[in-house]
Amino acid sequence: MNIIACVKQVPDTEAQIKVKADGSGIDEGGIKWVMNPYDEFGVEEALRLKEKFGGEVTIVCLGPARAMETIRTALAMGADKGIHIDDPALYEADSYATAEALAAAIKGLPYDIIFCGQRAIDDDSGQVGSILAELLGIPVVTMVTKLEVEGNSAKATRPIEGAQLVISTSLPCVITATKGLNEPRYASLPGIMKAKKKPVDIKNAAALGVSGASKAKVVKFVPPPARPPGKIICADDTPEGKAAELVKLLREEAKVI
Amino acid sequence: MELSHFKIGHEGREVFWNAEHFEPFLFFFTFIALVIFAYGLYRRWLIWSAIGKAEPEDRKSNWKVRLKNLVIDGLLQRKVLQDRYPGIMHALIFFGFLLLFFGAAFDATEFHVAEPLGFAFLTGKFYLFFSFLMDLAGLAILVGVFMALDRRYLSKPDRLGYRGKPDNTPDDAIALLLIAGIVITGFFIEALRIAVTWQQTPWEVWSFVGWTLASALNGISEPTARALHKGMWWVHTFLALGFIAYIPFSRLLHMITTPANYYMATLRPTGTIEPIRDFENAESFGVGTIEEFTWKQLFDSDACTRCGRCQEGCPAYLTGKPLSPKKLIQDIKTYWLEKAPAAIQAKKEELRAKMAAGEETDKCAKVLAFLDKIDQAIDKYVPARPETGEKALVGEVISLDELWACTNCMYCMENCSAAIEHVPKIIGMRQYKVLMEADFAPELQLTYRNMENNSNPWGVGSHLRGEWAKDLGIKTLAEDPNVEYLFYVGCAGSFDDRGKKVSIAFAKILQAAGVSFGILGSEEGCCGDSAMRGGNEYLYQSLAQANIEVMNGYGVKKILTICPHGYNALKKDYPHFGGNYEVYHHTEFIAKLISERKIKLKKSVADYVTYHDSCFLGRYNDIYDEPRKVLKAVPGLQLLEMERNLAKSFCCGAGGARMWMEEHGERINDARAKQAIETGAQTIAVGCPFCLTMMSDGLKTHGKDETMNALDIAEIVWKAMDLEEEKPPVDVCKT
Ligand code: SF4
Ligand code: SF4
Repeated sequence: MNIIACVKQVPDTEAQIKVKADGSGIDEGGIKWVMNPYDEFGVEEALRLKEKFGGEVTIVCLGPARAMETIRTALAMGADKGIHIDDPALYEADSYATAEALAAAIKGLPYDIIFCGQRAIDDDSGQVGSILAELLGIPVVTMVTKLEVEGNSAKATRPIEGAQLVISTSLPCVITATKGLNEPRYASLPGIMKAKKKPVDIKNAAALGVSGASKAKVVKFVPPPARPPGKIICADDTPEGKAAELVKLLREEAKVI
Repeated sequence: MELSHFKIGHEGREVFWNAEHFEPFLFFFTFIALVIFAYGLYRRWLIWSAIGKAEPEDRKSNWKVRLKNLVIDGLLQRKVLQDRYPGIMHALIFFGFLLLFFGAAFDATEFHVAEPLGFAFLTGKFYLFFSFLMDLAGLAILVGVFMALDRRYLSKPDRLGYRGKPDNTPDDAIALLLIAGIVITGFFIEALRIAVTWQQTPWEVWSFVGWTLASALNGISEPTARALHKGMWWVHTFLALGFIAYIPFSRLLHMITTPANYYMATLRPTGTIEPIRDFENAESFGVGTIEEFTWKQLFDSDACTRCGRCQEGCPAYLTGKPLSPKKLIQDIKTYWLEKAPAAIQAKKEELRAKMAAGEETDKCAKVLAFLDKIDQAIDKYVPARPETGEKALVGEVISLDELWACTNCMYCMENCSAAIEHVPKIIGMRQYKVLMEADFAPELQLTYRNMENNSNPWGVGSHLRGEWAKDLGIKTLAEDPNVEYLFYVGCAGSFDDRGKKVSIAFAKILQAAGVSFGILGSEEGCCGDSAMRGGNEYLYQSLAQANIEVMNGYGVKKILTICPHGYNALKKDYPHFGGNYEVYHHTEFIAKLISERKIKLKKSVADYVTYHDSCFLGRYNDIYDEPRKVLKAVPGLQLLEMERNLAKSFCCGAGGARMWMEEHGERINDARAKQAIETGAQTIAVGCPFCLTMMSDGLKTHGKDETMNALDIAEIVWKAMDLEEEKPPVDVCKT
């Protein structure tokens, strides 16, 4: 089975995000970069399929030089090889341009199933997996929490409002992973050591034959407004009085009810 | 036989009385016993060395210190005697035996050397004293043996078993009965001799046991006595020689291995773990198979006497976890004994091959070849033990629940009467699970990821590390690298709300005392102790190296810590990686400030306080007095001690990465909090932020969080300094 897992390098969830003064992006100084947690579910699922059916797991990642670390993390978990798409023309790529680059890198490879995270926790757009499937002309199931592969088809479970949807699909397909699919493994030390020697192909836009042109453009980064301090309801000492005051504030000040 | 040359003033006795012609036989049988003894030892050595790998730690140099350990703990029984009843029991047998052994040696020297050369020394007053002493020794042994029989078969304390099931083996009874038998037959021989000769040798009254027994035999005819004496003489001899031959094949082996273990005991600071040096090229990490233990680690388990001292204070065992340090050591031993025949076979093959190839030509190899021949001969008659099925060392022989229950509290090692090193074995096996198999508790995996990404176990953004100090006017080293002390705050002091209060209290004390200090702020990282003790040596070293790089970059020389884990790591483990600092724990430092009168404690804080000894302060670093001194300096404070304190203190349950893992069943911190509550104190004083959390939680469990509290010593001291008005809780609606 040939399995592909797409990964993105994102700032750690706890990292302090500072927007650059000119609003052109975030200040990368002091940021700890990690593998997008949803992509990690994808990598883990890819590895489990490999363990079950045999085959190879290829990691595909778009990002600057630092993203190599994330590829190595996936290789340390047990993936076999990597493709690193590194081109300044693609650093600002939107979801479409990203998917296009990934599709170009994947096209030449044999694949039965492709994993993506359901979204990246930095820009939260959640589109790459679907666009990628569209560009490759294969089906996609998003937000998958359970996956059963059998022969040439797969049964994927995804949550919908108040229920579970079980979707059958033919292979090859794109699966976007979400929390609940599995518990990603902790890399073993021999895994980490071996990862250093596993092959990673570095490709630029020209080699992939993509222009890197985005359809959408970020106009400006603006930090969210500072959270206003909490309010303590003192107006009246009785529970009823407090409740009345709370309702009033929610309606008039917060305008949520 | 005439006794002419023994008379009053020249008291003495004939050594081979009534046994004149036995001597050649005696020599013959002694020789056989010694051969069996030597062979048994060699066989044992073959097993340790055939299975275990080379020992990286130096166990030989510094012989003076080693000899001292051997004398104090092996010969003078310091550790053994720390436990009253069993200590006395063992000492009676041990010293009794030692005396009898020297007595026999004296006898032999007298007979074979001194007498023929004409300077017999076992005469006169000395003989009387000698006789008295020998009888006393025999009596002591008997008392000791009865005490031992009582412990093993009547009073049966839990520590001589596992969860109420005694772990007695036939060997225990055989050993005790052999000892008793030797002494009793010895007394009878003496008595029968006295029964015949007492009229000529009235001084034999000094052999008071034999004399009393002889009086009881009053009226026995001389021929009967002589015949009985001869028979008894042989019984005695065979028991004694049998004892010698039995040593290597029984628990008696500890007579050799335990003192040897004292001699080889680690001389490194308590709790030091041999760092893994070569991550790049090593094939495997940690201990996954019995062969990955060093020979010394296997030897260790042959020095274990199953005394149970370790088990008696193991917090995991006492709260119902499957781990018992004694059982762990014994299970390892049983396992390598099972593996022994195959391992010995392999070792022999290897030696044969080497000798055939002419590679081994040194003397040692020749001796081995010779012994090998003996072995081959014996193997013909002794069928090999059937090999039992393959079992995994980690997971089967030692269950994962046992492996992960250990808090690294060091009780076992500190109190072991045989210098056995349990904790490195446990960490070794954890390393295997974590580094090789990456198979360990999910909550601990999360902790390690947090430590990787944000350099703290909680996973709070590392940029927030210095936040606690924001309004205190504390400089970072980046702002002023010329301060005298670096206050290494650690993760709990930086991120945990309760811990932050301790950091603040200590910082204020330092400021009030005019100490020049600074912090690293967001440049500080996790010390790595939880990673190292949880088997993640790789993560630990990367954290340690990051800290060392920063600290060496600022030329840090002196460090203050509020966390005993950081204290221990920085002080004792960082030197492995080029971090050499003078490190002080805050309780030490506050004690110093008080004695130098740099701070004054004016206000009373609590009337009754009990102090909980943190493992990493007490057993790991011998800091027992300073925290108590500080507490006693607080006006009106009365210190109440828990029963388990000092070196026998009971862990809070947080060490050895346990802080970050789920605990099932009775919780260690609850058990400890209960012990603290029983003292009647209002406050549990601690010197460790993890103990602080554990004790606070324990008080909650017991519903005592309203009436009692847990405070760090720094908090108590800061309150007692009375420099800050205590603000009553603010009623927000009234302002
Ligand atoms: S270190 Fe403590 S918890 Fe671990 S085995 Fe020894 S006594 Fe038990
Ligand atoms: S390990 Fe030490 S303390 Fe524990 S039973 Fe053995 S000899 Fe006794």
